[in-house]
Amino acid sequence: MIITPPILARLVLIVFLSVLVQLGFFSQVPLLGSVANLIPVVIVALGLLGGAVTGAVAGFAAGLLIDVMIGGTMGVASLSLLTTGYLAGRWREGYDIVSSLVPPLLTGALCGVAALTYGLLQLTLGIEAQISALALREVIVQALLGTLLAIPVYPLVRRLLRPALVDDTARSRSRVSPTVLGRGGLRLSAMNTSRSR
Amino acid sequence: MYRKQVRRRRAILVLLVVACLMLISISVSEADSGPLKSVQDGLSSVLSPVQEGADRALKPLRDMVDWFDETFEARGENEELHDQVATLQQEKLDLLDAAEDAGYLKTLEKLVAENGLESYQRVEASVLNRNFSVWYSTIVIDAGSSDGIGANDPVVTADGLIGRVASVTGGTAKVALITQQGNGVTGRIAGEGPVGLIVPVIGAPDELDFTLIQGDKEIEDGDEIVTAGFSTGEVKSRFPPNIPIGEVSEAIPAEQEQRQQVSVKPFADIADLDLVTVLTGGTS
Repeated sequence: MIITPPILARLVLIVFLSVLVQLGFFSQVPLLGSVANLIPVVIVALGLLGGAVTGAVAGFAAGLLIDVMIGGTMGVASLSLLTTGYLAGRWREGYDIVSSLVPPLLTGALCGVAALTYGLLQLTLGIEAQISALALREVIVQALLGTLLAIPVYPLVRRLLRPALVDDTARSRSRVSPTVLGRGGLRLSAMNTSRSR
Repeated sequence: MYRKQVRRRRAILVLLVVACLMLISISVSEADSGPLKSVQDGLSSVLSPVQEGADRALKPLRDMVDWFDETFEARGENEELHDQVATLQQEKLDLLDAAEDAGYLKTLEKLVAENGLESYQRVEASVLNRNFSVWYSTIVIDAGSSDGIGANDPVVTADGLIGRVASVTGGTAKVALITQQGNGVTGRIAGEGPVGLIVPVIGAPDELDFTLIQGDKEIEDGDEIVTAGFSTGEVKSRFPPNIPIGEVSEAIPAEQEQRQQVSVKPFADIADLDLVTVLTGGTS
């Protein structure tokens, strides 16, 4: 991802709006005995599109914002979300997204990781309390809801950040570029790219 | 070039993790009036109008989801149950009407009078937003220090205790619910029964544990638990005595003996809070 000032503004806006929508909507609509969490879904999308650093920084910022807005222990949500964003980014840097199923499934898994990390951090900070088996259900439900939310959210975030995405820019250029040697021949853009290298 | 990128990435990650750990450490160790808490409260009061605006803007969407929810539920009923449902709905409507007639405030008045809480000023507030993960249960209400609310003020509904004010800004207050991990309330069985600690059960937001029980009297299912409101010298409970908390839902004698613990169901419907009351001031 190429981060320019306008793209940075979009990233800030995406994180800020996702926190507002989470608190104003998703937190107040019970679903499957829990509430859907939009924020890790957005952070995973940013990590997948922008890489580990973008994911980690976005996660850290979103976590700070949540802790300020809900009055939580500062740093807990940040640590949980930066882990999520970083892992998503590292996955993207190591592997290609070969199927459209990959982002939702990966988001689901990482939402489960985020819920688990958050819970474990809270447990280390709180008073001694019994843990119900329902806590495990919460992690599974969060993973499931994350998977479902990622289906519309990932393409939406990708669309918003399209001008900054190297893959998408190259693809859209190659789509309109003229070819030599007829159909299936060399693309001028490809030639130009190889020359510039 | 690649190595430089990797080094940069690692440096940023380490920096962020260290920042998080420092924030956690300061946040946990500092007092309620510490600098980080003040910054957090300041930022929160700056952001609360935006939050309030977003909450209002998203209300139609929430209402729409509720409507769909109710519609789908209604469609799921089969014909055999229609008559029964109609009867039950009529009964429910009658009950709702009766409850409306009685009114939240009237029920609350009864709770206050029955439990000797007249010395407290009461501030009614609506819930602005909530965070009901099983790990962290807080709500934000639309009344704050300008209404006389202070940190650690007890928060109740007409049914009983729901939590305490964790932090407060001019126009809003954050309430840490009794089901939030990290909260504990000293309680006792109503009528000078055994004293103990009410703690949340992680993963079960509508369940509490009554633990560290001191007293010989055996606890039975259905026993009512109220706040103990102890005071020993300078140490004083955050909650006044006699606010109803819940009733014992499962008291297994063997478990009582071994772990000194029984299960409690809170009186207040903590997952569905709309109107709450903050008890401020007070002399007890």
